Amino acid sequence: MKSPDKFYLRTENQEGRCTVYLNGELDLETASQMRAAMSTLVELSDRELVLNLRDLRYIDSTGIGILVSVVRARHAKNAPFLVEAIPPNIRKLFDMTGISPFLSGSSPSSY
Amino acid sequence: MLMKDDIITIFVPAAAEYVDLARLTLYGVASKMGFSFEEIEDMKVALSEACNNAVLHAYGDMPEGTTFSAPEEQPRVEIRFIKQADALSIVVKDDGSSFDAAAVARSAESLHGKAVHELEAGGLGLYLMQALMDQVEVSSGSGTQVMMTKRLTKSGEWA
Repeated sequence: MKSPDKFYLRTENQEGRCTVYLNGELDLETASQMRAAMSTLVELSDRELVLNLRDLRYIDSTGIGILVSVVRARHAKNAPFLVEAIPPNIRKLFDMTGISPFLSGSSPSSY
Repeated sequence: MLMKDDIITIFVPAAAEYVDLARLTLYGVASKMGFSFEEIEDMKVALSEACNNAVLHAYGDMPEGTTFSAPEEQPRVEIRFIKQADALSIVVKDDGSSFDAAAVARSAESLHGKAVHELEAGGLGLYLMQALMDQVEVSSGSGTQVMMTKRLTKSGEWA
């Protein structure tokens, strides 16, 4: 069943910024791939970590759960994190679950 | 014309790699019924969440890497699509270790209004199922069963 290109990510390092482009479907099957990649990237506290979702076709609560972990890890390090180019179907799920305010880069510091 | 419910049932191995097969089947059934693209997207997410839970329960009590000598011993998930004139009900059933379904249903929670350190991913799956479908019922006995229903919003006749 598993097709090799169901989900992959590509990392681009610029000055002060690390952008990760997610491609395909992030779900229970591909979550471990994402978790493994993120575990090292969240440690880069000297630069901004950006997830670009332009080519992400699908996400489920497992994927959103990983974003929750990234938000928490970056917040604990006081390191910037944001998610950009969110497709409408995924934006809808982010809004529904309430994670959206934590992905905009300007951390909801009122909390 | 007298309408009766048509039922389509598939069984898939209780493994993460088959959840997308359930999504594909749903797409076929729901688009033939005339659901909109957005409604189908909603149902795809809800169904996947139910399948995720079934896959996770199925192996709940087994050590990682457990293998089965006979294919018929392998845990599987039953997915039943019940086509009604004005709605689609989807039943997802596993035979895994049963748990307190009612307690889990109460724990369905979103992240709205939480502080960063309070963010928890648990409960999001069920929260999404409830938010995306018109009705969700979770019951447990030998295994767990989730039944969720989406009503057809278009008025008029069916094909």
